[in-house]
Amino acid sequence: MSKKNLVITSITLTSIVLGLIISLGVLGPIPLTSIRPLGLFYALFMANRNITIEVFPLIVNPGNFWAASTEAITAILWDYRGLDTLFETSVFFFAIIGSIALFRFTEKEEHEIRKKTHENHASEGKYLGLSLITKTITKIILFTIIVVSAAIALHGQLTPGGGFQGGSAFAVAPLLAIAALSRFYLDDIGFKKNTMLLLRTMGLLIIALLAIIPVVAGIGSWQAYIMQNQPKEWAIIQLFPPKGLGVLLGSLVYYNIAELLAVGAGFTIIFILLSIPEEFYKKIIEKEGVEHG
Amino acid sequence: MFRYLTIGLFAFTIYILFSGSITLYDILTGLIVSAIASVILAKTLVKEDSKVIDIRRLFWLIAYILHYMTIIELRAHLDVAKRIINPRMPINPGIVRVPYKTKTDYATVLVSNSITNTPGTVVVDLDEDKKILYVHWINVKAIEPDKTYEYISKTFEKYAKKIFD
Repeated sequence: MSKKNLVITSITLTSIVLGLIISLGVLGPIPLTSIRPLGLFYALFMANRNITIEVFPLIVNPGNFWAASTEAITAILWDYRGLDTLFETSVFFFAIIGSIALFRFTEKEEHEIRKKTHENHASEGKYLGLSLITKTITKIILFTIIVVSAAIALHGQLTPGGGFQGGSAFAVAPLLAIAALSRFYLDDIGFKKNTMLLLRTMGLLIIALLAIIPVVAGIGSWQAYIMQNQPKEWAIIQLFPPKGLGVLLGSLVYYNIAELLAVGAGFTIIFILLSIPEEFYKKIIEKEGVEHG
Repeated sequence: MFRYLTIGLFAFTIYILFSGSITLYDILTGLIVSAIASVILAKTLVKEDSKVIDIRRLFWLIAYILHYMTIIELRAHLDVAKRIINPRMPINPGIVRVPYKTKTDYATVLVSNSITNTPGTVVVDLDEDKKILYVHWINVKAIEPDKTYEYISKTFEKYAKKIFD
């Protein structure tokens, strides 16, 4: 038996055996369909729907209890784990700052790099890169990625998506553009390093302000919460949009938008910097070293 | 102007389809996101404003989708399926040159992706200067450019020119 056949046979056998094991219940009992009302129970509790439902064996009115979020993880964790997210964001912030410090160019030097790399570059609207087919399709895909990443971030309060996920999905767009269309395409659509730096700083500022505003405003009183997400009637500052937009929003929706900006733009900066040919940035950094050293 | 509206509408459709719900929140955020996406990218996606609102092009696009998805795809699938099932495996593979006469990028991409998506033929490369597609063909019937054009891409080009050129 050849190596290839052996691999195919073993994969097939493994999947059959695994399937058998799982369906026979060796790895644990398989949930029955009668457990489904439990899911409904959780969903209604979290959404704070003021209606009475019948979930065997209880009749409950979830309006008496609430988690104020339709998304399970947010309902349980956000108000307690929000600080964790704040620190994660700070780590990412320092990582990007570090890379920008490594690739330090003045405005003039950057212009020079652009001019130099532009010399072996075709006329306007024609980008170096892969074939015409790939370039055209990439332009369309890039557009859809940007729209979808925004949708991921803006539905973070309902789904397992969120700002970081949306931002990471967004970052695929500039990466694809650099590979298929060259970095000058990013210049043409306005994805420049400094623009991205501005967007990223804006995102981080919004996150920091949102976290701190309730505390600052609540000085002298105990009724304010740092990084408050869920509505608390007794808190002075209510940092969440009103109900009535059809979905229940916490302050999470603002954090998600800000995080999308910070992460998406942060990754874009890294990709733009990494796409500068080595021969240019090494020369500039070395020259700087000699001057100061 | 029209290109911004069209691309914005396209973005809005993608946003709503991806979200999977239409609440006031989805519509409001969708409008904002599609406006931003359209302002940034519409100019790189559509060059000529007048083509976007040309209703005949839309009509030809729908006609092409119907024609392609039913008759052309069915014929190609049946042909390749027959070759697979047949124990003698009657194939004669090879790469041939197929000239293309489309002018715009989108038309060329439509032709070449239609060729690739049809079972039995795959575009492996294209030469923009000579205007030639290199196509891998499961059953090479001819190698002369005018005959390969006739066999492989004539129908696609007819529609592509009407939709995009």
